[in-house]
Amino acid sequence: MLTKKSLKKISEVLWEIPKNYRKDMIVPARIFASDEMLDDVFKDRSLQQLVNVATLKGIQEAAYVMPDVHEGYGFPIGGVAAIKHPDGVISPGGIGYDINCGVRLLKSNLKIDQIKNQLESLAREIFHQVPSGVGRSGDLKLTIHELNSVLKNGAKWMLKNDYATESDIENIESNGCLENADPSVVSDHAKKRGNDQLGTLGAGNHFVEVDYVEEIFDEKIAETFGLYKNQVTVLIHTGSRGFGHQVATDYLKLMMQVMPDYDIQIPDKELACVPFNSKEGQKYFNAMACAANFAWANRQLITYHIRNAFKKEIGSSNGKLELLYDVAHNMAKIETHQIDGKKEKVIIHRKGATRAFPPNHPEIPKKYQSVGQPVLIPGTMGTASFVLAGTQEAMDVSFGSTCHGAGRTMSRSSAKKEIHGKKLKEKLEEEGIIIRAGSVSGLAEEAPLAYKDIDNVVDVVARAGIAKKVARLRPCIVIKG
Amino acid sequence: MSSYEFIPHVADVRLKIKAKEINNLFTAALIGMSNLLKSDGCSNFDNLENSKIVKDTIEISSIDLTTLLIDFLSEVLTHSHVNKSIYCKVKFDKLTDNFLVATIWGRKIDSFDEDIKAVTYHEADISKDNQGDLSTIIIFDI
Repeated sequence: MLTKKSLKKISEVLWEIPKNYRKDMIVPARIFASDEMLDDVFKDRSLQQLVNVATLKGIQEAAYVMPDVHEGYGFPIGGVAAIKHPDGVISPGGIGYDINCGVRLLKSNLKIDQIKNQLESLAREIFHQVPSGVGRSGDLKLTIHELNSVLKNGAKWMLKNDYATESDIENIESNGCLENADPSVVSDHAKKRGNDQLGTLGAGNHFVEVDYVEEIFDEKIAETFGLYKNQVTVLIHTGSRGFGHQVATDYLKLMMQVMPDYDIQIPDKELACVPFNSKEGQKYFNAMACAANFAWANRQLITYHIRNAFKKEIGSSNGKLELLYDVAHNMAKIETHQIDGKKEKVIIHRKGATRAFPPNHPEIPKKYQSVGQPVLIPGTMGTASFVLAGTQEAMDVSFGSTCHGAGRTMSRSSAKKEIHGKKLKEKLEEEGIIIRAGSVSGLAEEAPLAYKDIDNVVDVVARAGIAKKVARLRPCIVIKG
Repeated sequence: MSSYEFIPHVADVRLKIKAKEINNLFTAALIGMSNLLKSDGCSNFDNLENSKIVKDTIEISSIDLTTLLIDFLSEVLTHSHVNKSIYCKVKFDKLTDNFLVATIWGRKIDSFDEDIKAVTYHEADISKDNQGDLSTIIIFDI
């Protein structure tokens, strides 16, 4: 049984389960966490799941988990694994059901004092413009041909149809489009689930937030990112909606059926996987890319709606919103990393973890090359979110990865018992945070009490050197489904 | 006789189902999931006018019985999302350890109360206890 005593301390914020802990482990398992956080980590099965990840065929160096870790399906949330390309495995459980769930940050040319009197009307207008809530459809109804074009082109489809700018595309991870997307390997079920959901937020922990920059930690990087104190910003957190969920479901089922053909055995059904270079592995990777593209198109269309809301309430000249960056936190990517002194191509699985590329990395926009890739870490309602920058240290110790959010600590049912949604709304409003939510009980489920302290999570990644703190954002409007 | 109950899970929803027979176990899972999608959505279903009832057919093959159950619920979930409906009744034309053909009946709904992203295989394992009851846990990613 795993206990704290099973762990080897590598540093103040990095721990290791040695690979001899279990005979089927190919590599060790490593946990970014403070000593205090570790007690919470043992409360669920996330470390057992991490040990399972360390058994995947082709896994390199170590299975990692970030300090916002909690139990998931197959992989723990916060999990990172680099698998040898091309014959190691690809596992949908290492990406998650919400493929390319991610975050983007928009920045304005306004300071919070300038719009204090317009926050209520802005909240109302954003809530009106951005469809949110369970099963809610978007305004854009696509033909199958148009949907296939979105799946193939992602955010670039939005550019072609005047919902995006060239600057938006430059500031999205992978320019908002994975080129290997192939709509022919996506089921009709997935297309039917997704065809009316573009431009929708969903529910649960997805949100739109209007924030202001409360604190700057690194003036130089903040200046390069175009951030300054009291600046109004907008965070959008959502993913590939029902489309992505169905792609993941379809391919998990397929992989479980064909795994015996590849002589693969796994300790957990949700780790179902096949060799990356197999027929099924390639089909999944190309379907995953379709879902990733759908999510980028989704976040872009939501951006369009929010820009309209700002224009209407604040005005055309002052209400401009520019995209700082858009990051994914559920994805598999082919990347090159240094392993045992050699450059190796790997299939990086990030599930509830964010890419954090360093300065001078060719994959980040030119204007950020001197300081590193923007990393966006949403907190919880009523607390804070963070902007960080990627580092060389992240490349050296975590395959260019860092955390993605606060991480849940309390079940939804417990949260609803402990917290009354209406009272929570009133309390947040007393603190100056305007809430617009489709569901009061949903609000209780997402209360700050149900999550880890985001300051502690970000503190760990900063101490580990796998991202650098740039700015802290404080919410003033929260829109939820 | 079959039953279902919701039990705590850190991030999502955990459903425990129990029944004497396999077809009743699958039915309990169906109703549990539908009542999660729409609170009490299946109550009074038998009294619903025929004109308000929707009907679909499902055919699935899987690697084993537990996987078949999860795949069945996944298929129903897809129908729920695509048709904006919940399903409260099922008749199995064929139900073996790895294959089923079924007809499902349900009703249209205006909105869902819960957004079930997926039915996971996590913790699912149909087993028989000393009293001969079949049971399993099902976790829904929401």
